[in-house]
Amino acid sequence: MQQGGGSETEVTWEDQQNINKFGRLNNRFHELEDEIKFAKESKDNLEDASNELILTDEEVVRFQIGEVFAHVPKEEVESRIEEMQEATSKSLAKLEEEKDSILAQMAELKKILYGKFKDSINLEED
Amino acid sequence: MATESSSSSSAAVTERRGIPGAQFVEDVQTYLTQLGLDVNSALAFLQERLQQYKLVEMKLQAQQRDLQAKIPDIEKCLDVVATLQAKKGTGEELITDFEVSEGIYSRASIDDTDSVCLWLGANVMLEYSCEEATALLQKNLDNARASLEVLLADLQFLRDQVTITQVTIARVYNWDVHQRRLRQSPPKDL
Repeated sequence: MQQGGGSETEVTWEDQQNINKFGRLNNRFHELEDEIKFAKESKDNLEDASNELILTDEEVVRFQIGEVFAHVPKEEVESRIEEMQEATSKSLAKLEEEKDSILAQMAELKKILYGKFKDSINLEED
Repeated sequence: MATESSSSSSAAVTERRGIPGAQFVEDVQTYLTQLGLDVNSALAFLQERLQQYKLVEMKLQAQQRDLQAKIPDIEKCLDVVATLQAKKGTGEELITDFEVSEGIYSRASIDDTDSVCLWLGANVMLEYSCEEATALLQKNLDNARASLEVLLADLQFLRDQVTITQVTIARVYNWDVHQRRLRQSPPKDL
């Protein structure tokens, strides 16, 4: 091991695998952030829709299915929206869980890699 | 996931579906001797490899975007067919507003029906019974999801090769810098 000079710290296959894993986790982390943002937006939209439903006094609501708006009785729309809200909440919870797990793994790998390579490696966001 | 054969030295998949694997370098000196190249040529070679990887990555990402747009489309179609099927038993007609042109909608009343027409692409539309339509759409959805999974695995493999290549470039460069320092200031004998 060299002190200073051309940083001759040897990179083993295990180190390479750790670096690869960190890269993969980082990518997945960014994808997750997008997915979470999208899920939160859906959740907000569903809430707004649900509130609007309570306020309206129409009996038949135009509910979007695919590309068309079907005329659906209010109760059915309410139950559909509730179902969708549940599904979105569940999926959001799962995504947040995965995000936390990834952050923990990345912190672990940072410790290991900085421990070995110190200044020769940069694992921060640019 | 890139499969790694059990233990240490230069264990890697040599290629995956046409993407060449990046060779892991145990020792820079041995690597350069093995390649029979001097430092600059080796760096040029590695940079070129990196560019090739980037090109393939862009292609795969475009395919990924296509698939990710297709999947919700198919899910929407399945939804519509399911709604039609649900209405079938009741004998009521389904009234919908559909888009005739941008911003302009028209009302349609859909009676009890046993069949739907599916757009298959290439100016072809076929009539199916509701059950057949559901089965076909479901099959397409499953295929699309499976393709997406394979694609994502390819992308992960590719990114690993890119990382390995980048690390190798950095190491070869550092090794060269180190060698130059050694040549300029030879170590004193103690």
